[in-house]
Amino acid sequence: METVIKGLKTNKGFAITTFLVFLLLAIAVFAPVLAPYDPTHAVMADAYAEPGMAHLFGTDKLGRDCFSRVIYGGRASLAGVLMLVFCVFCVGTSLGVLSGYFGGKVDMIIMRFSDLMISFPGIILAIAVAGIMGGSLVNAIIALTIVTWTKYARLARSMVLKIKRRDYVDAAIVNGGTPSHILWVHILPNILPLMVVTAASDIGGLMMELAGLSFLGFGAQPPAPEWGLMLNEGRQQLQTAPWLMIFPGLAIFVTVVIFNLWGDYLRDVLDPRNDVED
Amino acid sequence: MNKTLKITAAAALVGLMAFAAAGCGGGDKKAAKGPKDTLKVGVTNFADSLEPTDNYFGWVLMRYGLGECITKLDREMKVVPWLSDKWEIGSDKLTWTFHINDKATFSNGKKVTGEIVAQSFQRTFAKAPRAKSMFQVEYIKGEGQNVVIKTVKPVPNLPGMLGDPLFIVIDTTVNEKERDYRKMGPICTGPYAVKSFTKAKAIMTRNEHYWDGPVPFKTVEIPSIDDPNTRAMALQKGEIDVAVNIAAGDLALFKNKDKFNISEIASLRDILGRVNVRKERPLGDPRVRHALMKCMDRETYAKSLLKDTFFPGAPLMPPSTDYDYKNLYAANPDKYDVEAAKKLLAEAGWKDTNGDGYVDKDGKNLELDCILYTSRAELPIYAEATQASAKAIGMKINLKPVDYNILDKLTREGQYDISVCNTLTMSSGDAEVFVNMYLATGQEQNGSGYSNPEYDALSQKLAVEFDPAKRREIIIEMQKIHLKDASMIVWGHPKTNMVSNKSVVGADIQPCDFYWVTKDFKPAQ
Repeated sequence: METVIKGLKTNKGFAITTFLVFLLLAIAVFAPVLAPYDPTHAVMADAYAEPGMAHLFGTDKLGRDCFSRVIYGGRASLAGVLMLVFCVFCVGTSLGVLSGYFGGKVDMIIMRFSDLMISFPGIILAIAVAGIMGGSLVNAIIALTIVTWTKYARLARSMVLKIKRRDYVDAAIVNGGTPSHILWVHILPNILPLMVVTAASDIGGLMMELAGLSFLGFGAQPPAPEWGLMLNEGRQQLQTAPWLMIFPGLAIFVTVVIFNLWGDYLRDVLDPRNDVED
Repeated sequence: MNKTLKITAAAALVGLMAFAAAGCGGGDKKAAKGPKDTLKVGVTNFADSLEPTDNYFGWVLMRYGLGECITKLDREMKVVPWLSDKWEIGSDKLTWTFHINDKATFSNGKKVTGEIVAQSFQRTFAKAPRAKSMFQVEYIKGEGQNVVIKTVKPVPNLPGMLGDPLFIVIDTTVNEKERDYRKMGPICTGPYAVKSFTKAKAIMTRNEHYWDGPVPFKTVEIPSIDDPNTRAMALQKGEIDVAVNIAAGDLALFKNKDKFNISEIASLRDILGRVNVRKERPLGDPRVRHALMKCMDRETYAKSLLKDTFFPGAPLMPPSTDYDYKNLYAANPDKYDVEAAKKLLAEAGWKDTNGDGYVDKDGKNLELDCILYTSRAELPIYAEATQASAKAIGMKINLKPVDYNILDKLTREGQYDISVCNTLTMSSGDAEVFVNMYLATGQEQNGSGYSNPEYDALSQKLAVEFDPAKRREIIIEMQKIHLKDASMIVWGHPKTNMVSNKSVVGADIQPCDFYWVTKDFKPAQ
């Protein structure tokens, strides 16, 4: 935490992108205050209105205000992707740590299972999983967790293997430390920075995948305002009402760029490589 | 990365993108001179086989100009001669004699005789269960150029039913083991014959033995472009000459009369919401059903959401048919009236007691499962519009997009509250099959639990009535019962269209949408 605060003071880029990340989160949290209309309220006589004073981003096929939908869409998209990153992070890291620390059969089972998952093309497997479970944002998150956790498990495992051989771990074992104590106090804190950086820089990519699933109809369902879903709804009117694709697309683009830059700067600030390697 | 490397990478990226963009363009810039001999038609295709007795695959044979029936339906939906030039019914009202045109030949040059047509129909009855559900026969036999059919019960609309693509006439003397009907189709009598067929693309060549006048194109290519937007763009770019069914929103792109012809017609289709009226379901209560009907502003749906390319619905039969649409529409008891809808729900005991915006009863919200398929652009629009309208009276509709085949299964089994589909009302030139299919008691497709003895009595009367005027009256009466019972949601009736560029003339859409490519499609002079 101290490093992060220090980073905010010394690294200008990190300070700016952190501010932007908080701005995005604030927009999502305060959506009811910022949005001029109810995002699901349909005024059908106003369908396909062009962007103008009454409707900043125009209206969609049911006459709903696009600006309000983009703002509210931030809620679904951001909450969805943060939830997803959290799930992947927890599942992947804990399985990886267990696998690396205990080795033997545990390692073999977890790693062979992860090999199995990797041998499928990720997004296609996610489509299949989401398709079987039925379309919803929660199911899309589960589907993407299933295909993404392996990356974190492998990373965590390799780091644990490295740290396990350190003298202080041996010393802890000699002193009678239980595996849970050693994992919690000696190993986890050492791998956490790199895991956090990986997670942070994955937010952008995972947001695209989540939006992709919604675009294909396997994620958020109508009438929910969600950027990927909005892109799909606008696709049919690509030539006659392009604003239906431009604004949600722009929202995804801006958000992904902000999170990617933030992830990069966070890596610079935490610089975990120096901590792990001697 | 040092600066030079960065600049090089950026330059490479720009170059790569320019290369990719160049790949997107191009196309056939050198248009062939002289008379056009290849026609390209962009369509949606559901069939992966050309076996006419499987599923509804006969439609594809007819749509692509491969197969023909003994009768066809003209623009007024009247039954007119095709392979058969005349027919008559015996005094027993059961025996029909169809005379086959002497000129008619198959694409292999063989003459079409009464025997072959009879064998073709027998094959259809042997292979397709749907044929038996249309009518039952005592015998079918060929006598020279005549086909004689004796039905079990009187079938007033038999000539119309034989115009259904299920009864496409095929050459039965061909050895089926030597020709793969799924890939090459049977030998038929249409203006074109298959060269190659997959679900994604069909290539056809001129039938050199065509019996009914000259065939204008040497080759017809029919790519399947399922996405309506992509289909529109393909036509704009000139990759195809004709596109079937341009989406409502995109039609305005083709208004330039110097470049495109738009052929538009009120179709014979209904956008239907079949409602599950079983007692245990919320819509089993007629008051809830009427409330649902009343909350929908079907006029605005058609006008604003579908840009005037639909007629608002309520009666079963569309305005393009002669079944008194105008008066029935005016007499609809469930016109748009939100307050009346709310009142009906309150009368039925549904009130919002927990303030969540949805009405509830016995601690349960009024939730309806609405299943739909999304390959037709208008279905999600209607479903989502209804979802928004129903919310205004406190009904919650959950949309569940599924594949068409799953929707069909769920609907037959009654596992739904609202099942959305787009249905042809007069596939045989008569409404009988359609008015019975979903609402008459005991019908295979009636999974809604709807049963009204009055309706069934009219259905039985219709089955044996030969007088067209009386048949019309019966069907109008049946529609009145449908409106009174709110037995199904009829959201609207689409106009259907075919858009062609100026290189083709005669690309006209027919009300019955299994006639697409015909011999009347000609190259422009």
